[in-house]
Amino acid sequence: MVFTEKIIDPRELRHVEGKIELYWIYTSGEAGDYFFKKLRDEGKFTAAKCKKCGYIFFPPRIYCEFDFSETEYVEVSGEGCVTAYAVAYYDKNGEKLEKPEIYALIEMDGTNGRIIHLLGEVEPEDVCIGMKVKPVLKPKEEREGKITDILYFKPA
Amino acid sequence: MAVGKRDISCPPYVKGREIELEDLKEKKVTYVEDHPDIRYSFTAGQAISKFLKGLKEGKILGVKCNKCGRVMVPPREFCELCFKPINEWVELKDTGVVETFSISYIDPDARPLEEPEIVAVIAIDGASPHMGILHKLGEVDPEKVYIGMRVKAVWKPEEEREGAITDIKYWKPIEG
Repeated sequence: MVFTEKIIDPRELRHVEGKIELYWIYTSGEAGDYFFKKLRDEGKFTAAKCKKCGYIFFPPRIYCEFDFSETEYVEVSGEGCVTAYAVAYYDKNGEKLEKPEIYALIEMDGTNGRIIHLLGEVEPEDVCIGMKVKPVLKPKEEREGKITDILYFKPA
Repeated sequence: MAVGKRDISCPPYVKGREIELEDLKEKKVTYVEDHPDIRYSFTAGQAISKFLKGLKEGKILGVKCNKCGRVMVPPREFCELCFKPINEWVELKDTGVVETFSISYIDPDARPLEEPEIVAVIAIDGASPHMGILHKLGEVDPEKVYIGMRVKAVWKPEEEREGAITDIKYWKPIEG
């Protein structure tokens, strides 16, 4: 009875099986709700401008985080330029993707904010920092008020 | 941000309201939802697996460190004081002494129990002093339990044992 006689049959090694039940709902909040409804119903992009300092938040906020003033919603084009990007060859489970996906940080025109989203209709080798892009939305009837209502951004 | 002398104006009211279940059901507000399926398997390891197998056979197994000579239960693969791999198993008695105990009036969901449960650490006979396992006491009134009380394991019938710590139903006092 020594440990050099290790248990090698995995069925002999005891284990406990467990499951963690998780279910959550994450609401968009006041400004997020406005943004997604505008995107869903009108296909338009919204930012929020501080009434005092003029900083333009994207995604929109209900108050300015620098001087705590109220903000007002402003419509923006949704176009922007790529400030950083990464090419993914594997999915989140480690399976090789048929077609690589390009994730980019896009600076929104007319705002001080950025958004992370997919790039499409472009090959990974043709992407460059500073590239102008514009959004491609789902058809209106398929939109649900989620970030996936934007399919991807394509070169403008 | 330091408030200091800066002129800060706050909105006089807070926009928005609490979200009701209806708002979600009728999709009045936008949201995302998810229910990830998280499964895991927690292994008992080499030493405890063998310990549990021993319980199925009605034995309490411990290990002995060849350097410091301590007899340890629950068993482990390494002596945590000598940092030496352990290579000797010893069979221990199914009697012991109450090291410490606690009386529980509620269950894990904080619901009151019909009968209070007595949870105790039992130092097993044959192991080094203060070496013991956490278990339950039975056939004794909570008022009559004391530290140093001699106890004996009450086992499940052999055919019902499954190699789990619950193969010992509880520990009961030894008369006299």
